Amino acid sequence: MTSSKLQPATRRRWRGSSPRLTPYLFLLPVLVLFAGFKVYPYLYAAWLSLTKIIKGQTTFVGLGNYGRLATDPIFYKALSNTLIILITQVPLMLGLALLLAVAFNSALLKFRAFWRTAYFVPIVMGLVAYGILFSTLLNSHHGLVNFLLEAVGLPRVPWLADPVWAKVSIIIALTWHYTGNSAVIYLAQLQSIPGELYEAAEIDGATAWQRFWHITLPGLRPAITLTVVLSTIGTLQLFDEPYVLTNGGPNNATLTIGMYLYQNGFKYFDFGYASAIGYVLTGIIGVIALIQFRFLREKQA
Amino acid sequence: MFAATVRLARLALATTALATLATAAPAEELTGTITVWSWTAPADGLEAAVAGFNKLHPGVTVKVEDVGNPAIWDKITAGMAAGGAGLADVLNIGIDYIGNYIETFPTGLVNLSEVGANDLAAQFPSGMWASGSSADGGVYGIPYEVNTSGFFYRKDLFDQAGVDINTIATWDDLLEAGKKIKEATGAPLISMDKAATVADSAGLWQLLTNLQGSFYFNAAGEITMNGPAGLRSLEWIKKANDAGVVADIPGGWDNFMLQIKGQTNVAVIPAASWAAGVFENEAPDMAGKWGLRLPPAVEAGGLTAAISGGTYLSVAGTSPNKQAAWEFVKYAMGTLEGQQATYAGGGMFPGFKPMLESDGFVKKSAYFDAEVNKFFIDELGQNTPTVNYTTDYARALKAYTDAQTQVLLSGADPKTVLDEAAALVAGQTGRTIAN
Repeated sequence: MTSSKLQPATRRRWRGSSPRLTPYLFLLPVLVLFAGFKVYPYLYAAWLSLTKIIKGQTTFVGLGNYGRLATDPIFYKALSNTLIILITQVPLMLGLALLLAVAFNSALLKFRAFWRTAYFVPIVMGLVAYGILFSTLLNSHHGLVNFLLEAVGLPRVPWLADPVWAKVSIIIALTWHYTGNSAVIYLAQLQSIPGELYEAAEIDGATAWQRFWHITLPGLRPAITLTVVLSTIGTLQLFDEPYVLTNGGPNNATLTIGMYLYQNGFKYFDFGYASAIGYVLTGIIGVIALIQFRFLREKQA
Repeated sequence: MFAATVRLARLALATTALATLATAAPAEELTGTITVWSWTAPADGLEAAVAGFNKLHPGVTVKVEDVGNPAIWDKITAGMAAGGAGLADVLNIGIDYIGNYIETFPTGLVNLSEVGANDLAAQFPSGMWASGSSADGGVYGIPYEVNTSGFFYRKDLFDQAGVDINTIATWDDLLEAGKKIKEATGAPLISMDKAATVADSAGLWQLLTNLQGSFYFNAAGEITMNGPAGLRSLEWIKKANDAGVVADIPGGWDNFMLQIKGQTNVAVIPAASWAAGVFENEAPDMAGKWGLRLPPAVEAGGLTAAISGGTYLSVAGTSPNKQAAWEFVKYAMGTLEGQQATYAGGGMFPGFKPMLESDGFVKKSAYFDAEVNKFFIDELGQNTPTVNYTTDYARALKAYTDAQTQVLLSGADPKTVLDEAAALVAGQTGRTIAN
């Protein structure tokens, strides 16, 4: 066969003539995918955000879409909803994750593997199953949650039909879905903190709280930085939960920037405007992530 | 520049394809496979037409795919935005979407007037035909389902409350009856998805507004949702809600089923003609308990008919087998034989006049104890205005639904919220608000 002769020859030629090419060849598939599925869409969306479809023709409108965005009351509603969820849900979730991680790491805990798995399982659950689960649980007429509330003498809650409770429902669903993920990251970091530090502190008479505050927290700082930034980005891009649970309602109470982008693109076919929303969201995420990194890094130094 | 070149190339391709399509000799034997995208019952109807079509064109394989509704809209939109990639050959498209597809994606659908669709125009209700055509006379969809309003009521609940349905001429009469029914039986008059978080919940308002000859937009495309008719509709809904006869039941098919099966009692379901068959099939135990009549008028002596949506069959601009796709559409929609097979298979109410006039189409239904199809044919005969969905229907629908939610959940003033909704749509679309 000719190929068996050819292949070693080719390989030898590459190895001989330019050894520096090899790593790039290995990187090539990823680079091609990155260019095709990331760089090209980003650039195309940038171009789209400067256009509007007028009478079927994609027409260049400069910064027209961005100007419209600046005066769009629904966009501001979506922005404020997203920020409200961000500032309540992220600290709540990370606080819980921290407690869980400390508990998972404790020598007092029995069946550790079981607990760790139980809290991590939600992250693996698919969007649709998760949506059906929560909309069934939170159904105001025959949902399990309201059934339990009534059983202990509390009034029913219009979980998905009231502007305030709908936000609460989204926060509960998000927290349930992602807390385990952050807890596992914390747990990994916790196990890298040397046990001698705790022993030494105990000999010096430090209380459990002092040990947590002066050893555990500083030791966790890299993991905290990571989870704060990742959770912030995730929440700013929030789409799945409002999409499956409330459809952004009632009266836009759970409309997030991601939902509004989707509506403009896929419900109103306004791809230019949707792309502009995408770019503004990217800008917001960039600025917030930069501030968080700087803030958390300075504290470290 | 790049996008413009691609667009030009696409346009050129579509034009050449059409030219070859138009000149193809009709006697030539058609071959190949075409796919059809539809959902549930309409898909069953089209599937039923395949056998007859294959007698005429044995070389063509037709694959009808039930891609689900509303998933089909995202699928078609994504395909259109990608220049037609991955679309089926024949697409079943709703009246609320087709206008926007025609205008936003000018090469997305085949202009069927170039292959002789105009010959069919006189056979369909003119308003419905017009909504599937572009302003310059292009035909992009052949009417499949033509829905008129279907007003279903629970005979047993009306009887129990001692209310004679025949005395109800207007919606105000109906509201009074609703209060009596609530008192006597505990059942609400109607149901609405007050938070509108499952699906849009504008059906009742659209019906009431249609019955007054109005809609979100007028024929000139100006915003009329906050006009006198729209306001009167929302005021009726508020009155009914304040009177406690509106049950808050989330939207969606399952909850609709609970109501028609009588597991959740409601006295009245204002639906559309497509629902008649659904009642018979899904709730056989309720035979004799449901009645059907024309909807009451809003203003005494006003319209008692409304076009409540419908769907079209279109051919995708990128279809590699446009001739076969068009022949299938023409057979299923434009021949009596094809229409009869489709109707037998799916039960969607047709718009094809020879079908409506054919023997046996109007027959007595034991379930409703009435000649069901006669109601719908009567409605088509009334002088209902052409409903102008425009390219911005989805935005107006959303703005209205949010306004209604504020009225139903927090008692907002109908005029204030409708004016706000109209202003929002005007800001989003650049349309003017009609005086």
